[in-house]
Amino acid sequence: MNGWLLAAAVLLVAGLAPVLWTMAVGEPRTRLVAQNLSTVLACPVFLLAAQGFGRPSYTDLALVLAMLGPAGTLVYARFLGVLPRSRVVLGTAWTVVPATVLPLCVVAGPGRAMAKLLVIGVLVVAGNTVTSAGTDRHG
Amino acid sequence: MDEVLIAIAVVLVAAAATAAVFHRDPLRQSMVLSLLGLFLALLYTFVQAPDVALSQLAVGSAVTPLMILLTVRKVKRGPRSGSEDR
Repeated sequence: MNGWLLAAAVLLVAGLAPVLWTMAVGEPRTRLVAQNLSTVLACPVFLLAAQGFGRPSYTDLALVLAMLGPAGTLVYARFLGVLPRSRVVLGTAWTVVPATVLPLCVVAGPGRAMAKLLVIGVLVVAGNTVTSAGTDRHG
Repeated sequence: MDEVLIAIAVVLVAAAATAAVFHRDPLRQSMVLSLLGLFLALLYTFVQAPDVALSQLAVGSAVTPLMILLTVRKVKRGPRSGSEDR
Protein backbone atom coordinates (compact mmCIF):
# COMPACT_ATOMS: atom_id res chain seq x y z
CA MET A 1 0.00 0.00 0.00
CA ASN A 2 1.30 3.36 -1.04
CA GLY A 3 0.10 6.63 0.46
CA TRP A 4 0.84 8.67 -2.67
CA LEU A 5 -1.22 6.38 -4.89
CA LEU A 6 -3.99 6.37 -2.28
CA ALA A 7 -4.06 10.18 -2.40
CA ALA A 8 -4.20 10.01 -6.21
CA ALA A 9 -7.13 7.57 -6.03
CA VAL A 10 -8.98 9.84 -3.58
CA LEU A 11 -8.41 12.80 -5.89
CA LEU A 12 -9.74 10.78 -8.85
CA VAL A 13 -12.92 9.66 -7.10
CA ALA A 14 -13.68 12.82 -5.10
CA GLY A 15 -12.44 15.32 -7.68
CA LEU A 16 -12.64 14.08 -11.26
CA ALA A 17 -15.79 11.96 -10.99
CA PRO A 18 -17.98 14.98 -10.00
CA VAL A 19 -16.27 16.96 -12.78
CA LEU A 20 -17.33 14.27 -15.26
CA TRP A 21 -20.92 14.41 -13.95
CA THR A 22 -21.00 18.20 -14.26
CA MET A 23 -19.57 17.96 -17.76
CA ALA A 24 -22.26 15.44 -18.75
CA VAL A 25 -25.33 17.32 -17.51
CA GLY A 26 -24.33 20.97 -17.03
CA GLU A 27 -25.00 24.02 -19.19
CA PRO A 28 -22.19 25.43 -21.39
CA ARG A 29 -20.85 27.93 -18.79
CA THR A 30 -20.70 25.23 -16.12
CA ARG A 31 -19.04 22.87 -18.57
CA LEU A 32 -16.28 25.37 -19.25
CA VAL A 33 -15.64 25.63 -15.50
CA ALA A 34 -15.63 21.81 -15.30
CA GLN A 35 -13.15 21.60 -18.19
CA ASN A 36 -10.90 24.08 -16.38
CA LEU A 37 -11.25 22.22 -13.09
CA SER A 38 -10.42 18.87 -14.71
CA THR A 39 -6.94 20.08 -15.72
CA VAL A 40 -6.33 21.59 -12.27
CA LEU A 41 -7.21 18.27 -10.62
CA ALA A 42 -5.37 16.04 -13.10
CA CYS A 43 -2.02 17.78 -12.58
CA PRO A 44 -1.72 16.77 -8.88
CA VAL A 45 -2.82 13.25 -9.83
CA PHE A 46 0.07 12.98 -12.30
CA LEU A 47 2.51 14.32 -9.69
CA LEU A 48 1.24 11.89 -7.04
CA ALA A 49 1.43 8.99 -9.50
CA ALA A 50 5.04 9.91 -10.35
CA GLN A 51 5.97 9.83 -6.67
CA GLY A 52 3.87 6.71 -5.96
CA PHE A 53 5.42 4.69 -8.79
CA GLY A 54 8.91 5.96 -7.91
CA ARG A 55 9.42 7.36 -11.42
CA PRO A 56 10.41 11.04 -11.23
CA SER A 57 10.33 11.35 -15.03
CA TYR A 58 6.52 10.98 -14.95
CA THR A 59 6.36 14.58 -13.70
CA ASP A 60 6.84 15.64 -17.34
CA LEU A 61 3.18 14.74 -17.87
CA ALA A 62 2.12 17.24 -15.22
CA LEU A 63 4.40 19.84 -16.80
CA VAL A 64 2.81 19.37 -20.23
CA LEU A 65 -0.68 19.48 -18.75
CA ALA A 66 0.16 22.60 -16.73
CA MET A 67 1.02 24.38 -19.97
CA LEU A 68 -1.69 22.95 -22.25
CA GLY A 69 -4.60 22.89 -19.78
CA PRO A 70 -5.17 26.64 -19.55
CA ALA A 71 -4.53 26.88 -23.32
CA GLY A 72 -7.35 24.39 -23.96
CA THR A 73 -9.66 26.31 -21.64
CA LEU A 74 -8.88 29.53 -23.52
CA VAL A 75 -9.63 27.79 -26.85
CA TYR A 76 -13.12 26.93 -25.58
CA ALA A 77 -13.56 30.39 -24.07
CA ARG A 78 -12.70 31.93 -27.44
CA PHE A 79 -15.36 29.90 -29.24
CA LEU A 80 -18.07 30.12 -26.57
CA GLY A 81 -17.39 33.86 -26.30
CA VAL A 82 -17.38 33.72 -22.50
CA LEU A 83 -14.85 32.94 -19.79
CA PRO A 84 -16.81 32.55 -16.56
CA ARG A 85 -15.41 33.76 -13.27
CA SER A 86 -15.01 30.74 -11.03
CA ARG A 87 -14.23 30.68 -7.34
CA VAL A 88 -14.18 26.86 -7.40
CA VAL A 89 -11.28 26.68 -9.86
CA LEU A 90 -9.39 29.46 -8.08
CA GLY A 91 -9.91 27.86 -4.67
CA THR A 92 -8.91 24.41 -5.94
CA ALA A 93 -5.80 25.75 -7.66
CA TRP A 94 -4.68 27.56 -4.51
CA THR A 95 -5.39 24.69 -2.09
CA VAL A 96 -5.04 21.29 -3.80
CA VAL A 97 -1.95 22.18 -5.85
CA PRO A 98 0.16 23.55 -2.94
CA ALA A 99 -1.11 20.74 -0.70
CA THR A 100 0.28 18.28 -3.27
CA VAL A 101 3.45 20.06 -4.37
CA LEU A 102 4.79 21.02 -0.92
CA PRO A 103 4.89 17.45 0.53
CA LEU A 104 6.43 16.23 -2.73
CA CYS A 105 9.10 18.95 -2.45
CA VAL A 106 9.83 17.89 1.13
CA VAL A 107 10.27 14.27 0.00
CA ALA A 108 12.34 15.23 -3.08
CA GLY A 109 14.72 17.41 -1.07
CA PRO A 110 16.67 20.33 -2.51
CA GLY A 111 17.79 19.93 -6.10
CA ARG A 112 16.56 19.81 -9.67
CA ALA A 113 13.54 17.63 -8.89
CA MET A 114 12.32 20.14 -6.33
CA ALA A 115 12.83 23.03 -8.74
CA LYS A 116 10.83 21.18 -11.39
CA LEU A 117 8.00 20.50 -8.95
CA LEU A 118 7.91 24.17 -7.93
CA VAL A 119 7.86 25.27 -11.59
CA ILE A 120 4.94 22.93 -12.29
CA GLY A 121 3.04 24.16 -9.24
CA VAL A 122 3.59 27.82 -10.12
CA LEU A 123 2.53 27.17 -13.75
CA VAL A 124 -0.72 25.45 -12.69
CA VAL A 125 -1.63 28.10 -10.13
CA ALA A 126 -0.71 31.01 -12.41
CA GLY A 127 -2.44 29.58 -15.49
CA ASN A 128 -5.64 28.83 -13.66
CA THR A 129 -5.63 32.14 -11.81
CA VAL A 130 -5.79 33.67 -15.29
CA THR A 131 -8.49 31.35 -16.64
CA SER A 132 -10.68 31.63 -13.53
CA ALA A 133 -10.49 35.43 -13.36
CA GLY A 134 -13.30 35.69 -15.88
CA THR A 135 -14.11 38.15 -18.62
CA ASP A 136 -17.68 38.29 -19.78
CA ARG A 137 -16.66 40.17 -22.90
CA HIS A 138 -16.23 38.46 -26.24
CA GLY A 139 -12.70 37.20 -26.66
CA MET B 1 -3.00 -0.42 -5.15
CA ASP B 2 -2.13 -0.17 -8.85
CA GLU B 3 -5.15 -2.29 -9.70
CA VAL B 4 -7.46 0.05 -7.79
CA LEU B 5 -6.13 3.08 -9.66
CA ILE B 6 -6.43 1.30 -13.01
CA ALA B 7 -9.99 0.22 -12.17
CA ILE B 8 -11.02 3.77 -11.24
CA ALA B 9 -9.45 5.14 -14.44
CA VAL B 10 -11.17 2.49 -16.59
CA VAL B 11 -14.56 3.32 -15.05
CA LEU B 12 -14.00 7.05 -15.63
CA VAL B 13 -12.93 6.43 -19.25
CA ALA B 14 -16.01 4.27 -19.89
CA ALA B 15 -18.33 6.86 -18.33
CA ALA B 16 -16.76 9.75 -20.27
CA ALA B 17 -16.91 7.80 -23.55
CA THR B 18 -20.59 6.97 -22.96
CA ALA B 19 -21.34 10.62 -22.19
CA ALA B 20 -19.50 11.71 -25.36
CA VAL B 21 -21.54 9.28 -27.47
CA PHE B 22 -24.88 10.47 -26.07
CA HIS B 23 -24.26 14.16 -26.75
CA ARG B 24 -25.60 15.52 -30.05
CA ASP B 25 -24.24 19.07 -30.05
CA PRO B 26 -20.67 18.96 -31.47
CA LEU B 27 -19.49 21.78 -29.21
CA ARG B 28 -20.53 20.01 -26.00
CA GLN B 29 -19.35 16.71 -27.43
CA SER B 30 -15.86 18.13 -27.99
CA MET B 31 -15.69 19.26 -24.35
CA VAL B 32 -16.61 15.78 -23.12
CA LEU B 33 -14.09 14.42 -25.64
CA SER B 34 -11.28 16.50 -24.13
CA LEU B 35 -12.20 15.16 -20.69
CA LEU B 36 -12.12 11.65 -22.15
CA GLY B 37 -8.63 12.39 -23.48
CA LEU B 38 -7.52 13.47 -20.03
CA PHE B 39 -8.88 10.28 -18.44
CA LEU B 40 -7.17 8.19 -21.13
CA ALA B 41 -3.86 9.92 -20.36
CA LEU B 42 -4.35 9.09 -16.67
CA LEU B 43 -5.11 5.46 -17.55
CA TYR B 44 -1.99 5.20 -19.74
CA THR B 45 0.09 6.59 -16.87
CA PHE B 46 -1.32 4.06 -14.42
CA VAL B 47 -0.45 1.17 -16.76
CA GLN B 48 3.13 2.52 -16.98
CA ALA B 49 2.95 3.95 -20.49
CA PRO B 50 3.93 7.61 -19.95
CA ASP B 51 5.06 8.11 -23.55
CA VAL B 52 1.60 7.27 -24.87
CA ALA B 53 0.08 9.44 -22.15
CA LEU B 54 2.30 12.34 -23.17
CA SER B 55 1.18 12.26 -26.79
CA GLN B 56 -2.45 11.75 -25.71
CA LEU B 57 -2.23 14.84 -23.48
CA ALA B 58 -0.66 16.97 -26.20
CA VAL B 59 -3.22 15.94 -28.81
CA GLY B 60 -6.29 15.57 -26.62
CA SER B 61 -6.19 18.67 -24.47
CA ALA B 62 -5.56 21.40 -27.03
CA VAL B 63 -5.26 20.24 -30.65
CA THR B 64 -8.38 18.06 -31.03
CA PRO B 65 -10.75 20.64 -29.44
CA LEU B 66 -9.24 23.39 -31.58
CA MET B 67 -9.72 21.40 -34.79
CA ILE B 68 -13.29 20.37 -33.90
CA LEU B 69 -14.26 23.92 -32.95
CA LEU B 70 -12.71 25.37 -36.12
CA THR B 71 -14.64 22.80 -38.18
CA VAL B 72 -17.91 23.57 -36.36
CA ARG B 73 -17.46 27.28 -36.99
CA LYS B 74 -16.65 26.72 -40.65
CA VAL B 75 -19.72 24.49 -41.12
CA LYS B 76 -22.05 26.86 -39.27
CA ARG B 77 -20.91 29.79 -41.37
CA GLY B 78 -22.55 28.06 -44.32
CA PRO B 79 -21.60 27.33 -47.92
CA ARG B 80 -21.51 31.04 -48.79
CA SER B 81 -17.85 31.48 -47.86
CA GLY B 82 -16.69 28.33 -49.62
CA SER B 83 -16.20 28.28 -53.39
CA GLU B 84 -17.93 24.94 -54.02
CA ASP B 85 -21.31 23.73 -52.70
CA ARG B 86 -21.52 21.33 -49.78
